[in-house]
Amino acid sequence: MKKILLVLIVSCLTLFAFDATIDIVKKGNKLPKIVVQDATDNSFADKYIEKKIFKLLIGDLKISANFIVDDRYIKTTYEGDYKENFQSNIMPDLIARFKLEKQDNTLIGYMKLINAKNGSAIMQNIYKISNKNRYPFLAHKMIIDINNKLGAPSIDWMQRFVIFAKYTGKKKSDIVISDYTLSYQKTIVTGGLNIFPKWANQNQDAFYYSSYNGRTPVLYKVDLKKGKRYKIISSKGMLVCSDVSKDENRLVLTMAPNDQPDIYIYDLQTKKLERITKFKGIDVSGNFIDNETRIAFVSDRLGYPNIFAKRPHLYAPVEQLVYQGKNNNSFSAYENYLVFSRREGDSEFGKNSFNLYLISTKTEYIRQLTATGKNYFPRFANKGETIMFIKNYKRQSALGIIRLYSNKSFLFPLKVGRIQSLDW
Amino acid sequence: MKKIVLISIGTALLLFTGCSKKTPEVDMTKKSEMNANQNAKAADTKVSAMSNSMDTSANQTASNMNANGNDVNYKIAQLEQKTKIIHFDFDKYNIREDQKPLVEEDANIVNSDDAKDFSVKLEGNTDEWGTDEYNYALGLRRAKSVKSALVTLGVDANRLMIISYGESNPVCTEHNKACWAKNRRVEFKFLP
Repeated sequence: MKKILLVLIVSCLTLFAFDATIDIVKKGNKLPKIVVQDATDNSFADKYIEKKIFKLLIGDLKISANFIVDDRYIKTTYEGDYKENFQSNIMPDLIARFKLEKQDNTLIGYMKLINAKNGSAIMQNIYKISNKNRYPFLAHKMIIDINNKLGAPSIDWMQRFVIFAKYTGKKKSDIVISDYTLSYQKTIVTGGLNIFPKWANQNQDAFYYSSYNGRTPVLYKVDLKKGKRYKIISSKGMLVCSDVSKDENRLVLTMAPNDQPDIYIYDLQTKKLERITKFKGIDVSGNFIDNETRIAFVSDRLGYPNIFAKRPHLYAPVEQLVYQGKNNNSFSAYENYLVFSRREGDSEFGKNSFNLYLISTKTEYIRQLTATGKNYFPRFANKGETIMFIKNYKRQSALGIIRLYSNKSFLFPLKVGRIQSLDW
Repeated sequence: MKKIVLISIGTALLLFTGCSKKTPEVDMTKKSEMNANQNAKAADTKVSAMSNSMDTSANQTASNMNANGNDVNYKIAQLEQKTKIIHFDFDKYNIREDQKPLVEEDANIVNSDDAKDFSVKLEGNTDEWGTDEYNYALGLRRAKSVKSALVTLGVDANRLMIISYGESNPVCTEHNKACWAKNRRVEFKFLP
């Protein structure tokens, strides 16, 4: 058993230790093959949740890119021998056997990871969740634990909350918190135009958002634990919080107190507002980069939207970061990497697509991440190896996930409304 | 093995309890949100009702107006009906040559006796192309271009305010070039 684990760990570490901009094409043979077995008793009444959890487990395993997943639905018993309903033609290395129970209003999940070669239990966990609507997080946690138990590269991002704004009508937008698959959704702010939500901290227990419901836009902070919101600052024209410093004390804002959209840094403790850019056109979407010593932002100072950077002082020189494309209007930064959305063609009559590209700020490397459609608003996960983005089609949209190392992408459509912006 | 299993269960329970704690329980859609926004919303509702009445049939608007001839809302509705929407090229915020006469007409309306008691909100809008964050800035620059032109034409800058709604406020929701052109615009809203 130890040998298998060691081989798994070593092969995974080898596979995933490459530079993020290098495509990995062939690695399938080295990944463990896994099946998911449903051991839930027939007495479990909520068949919908049972089926959904099975699908989520399969989906999470596939998206982790750390396993070869056989997605056939197999029913078994939890305590049964590992060969029970064992489909020998699949020849799995691992069996993930789950069972669901309900006690009062609590949903209980059991997960047993079995070595399919000898039947030994590698992991047995019990999960409880009091709000059954949150069952997607139960499934995500099961797969994260399996993944971690095997020492595979982290997929902890799967249990992070996604916060997004979605348009529901003219000048109407709700703010919703969801899991990364949009299976769980809870509307947090509704009524009027509420946009650009941004997590206030790593714990995801507070967020900022812009309210466009009065004469001037207002930035609010919502404390999810206390259920209160606080006015932070307001600005004429427009107001967006595009980044928060690691110590949570400084906000990067786009605002227009003088009718001019510029980048500002607002210190929450001293209440000091510092203007960072002064170009007469558009400066927007400021993000800290290089360990918060510089700010990257989108500007049309060359006559088209592109990505630039400068030290966070008004008179610091501006450096162009991206030299590819003539319409790069959104980006996300992680260490030495930038992912940005680029318009293909330079008018609405040209190629109707926006694609995502990944570049290194230290080398000339560029990698195209999407090939078709309108792909906007890329956001790195905090480990940098996964990118979330918005894919739009007509008046609808989907939440996209790109796994850089495994070179795979996944889409999760939003059934109602259109995603305006997101953070996770 | 049993030990490992027990530790795993303990860890899982602990982790998951921690995880669910951070799950948001607060629904800001309820009282706090509503109360905090009451005043702002009331103002917005007024403006919104105005633009709706413009969209509906002229007869209906006229009959409402006759019933309340001196009403401020009536004056505002009339002024907003008179003003010309200024349209822009794709990804641009400079005022096109063909739009300049319309801006001049708008300047005359804003400076007219009927409008002198109102301030004016210039709402910048964009089509659906591009990231919304950039679009909000683009819409704002369009509104600023119109404001600057109005000031040049003699409108008091202190009466003018600008705001951007990015792509959130389309007048046309089809997906063709004619529709996108309609949405790239600046509208006039008169405020008491």
